[in-house]
Amino acid sequence: MEALQFFVVSSFAAALAIAIAAFGCGLAQGMGLKAAVEGIARNPESSGKVTVTMLIGLAMIESLCIYALVVALILIYAHPQAAAIAELLAK
Amino acid sequence: MNVQQRILDFVKRCNWFLFFVGSAFALINQSPKFAAGFLAGGLIVTANFHLLARTLKGSLAPGRLASSNVVLAKYYIRFFFSGLIIFFLMSRHVVDPLGLLIGLSVVVVSITLATLCELTKHIFREAVEG
Repeated sequence: MEALQFFVVSSFAAALAIAIAAFGCGLAQGMGLKAAVEGIARNPESSGKVTVTMLIGLAMIESLCIYALVVALILIYAHPQAAAIAELLAK
Repeated sequence: MNVQQRILDFVKRCNWFLFFVGSAFALINQSPKFAAGFLAGGLIVTANFHLLARTLKGSLAPGRLASSNVVLAKYYIRFFFSGLIIFFLMSRHVVDPLGLLIGLSVVVVSITLATLCELTKHIFREAVEG
């Protein structure tokens, strides 16, 4: 029963991890994009500089979300203690 | 060439450099699963970066503004396929998770290196001028 609880909690943690990461990254990307579009609207000649800076910022933010996805998938599919827990379940 | 363009060029070159050097190192010194993870992660994130650059240039350059629906569709398609590939790699245990995680860090490491290089140049320029 405890082993089953462990897997349930792992799945819950994975769901929570990707939810929080997506929320934070979405918020951050939205804020960055809003500021960039406002800047370009005020000064259209600066679009090249703003786009490049934003591209680097967005790439960093997106990486965080991808990390969270990988960690969530590790929790579900490749948990380091999964084999040990499965053995416990078999007993 | 302005500082932004210089950083972008550096990041683009550094991405491929880190990807090839890291892949060669992983193929020689690590297990095949780890190397496959690094290769897959590096390719996903580098392709993502280039596609993001193309989409943003198309959507924000005043001369050639793309439709917002096209930009959104491209963004979601790119993100969906990245997630799908990572999901299949992890769920079928094709790659080592640690290798994948390190491979996915290629762009972050490139950006950090570019920032450090520019910061070093800035500090030394100020020291010479001072």
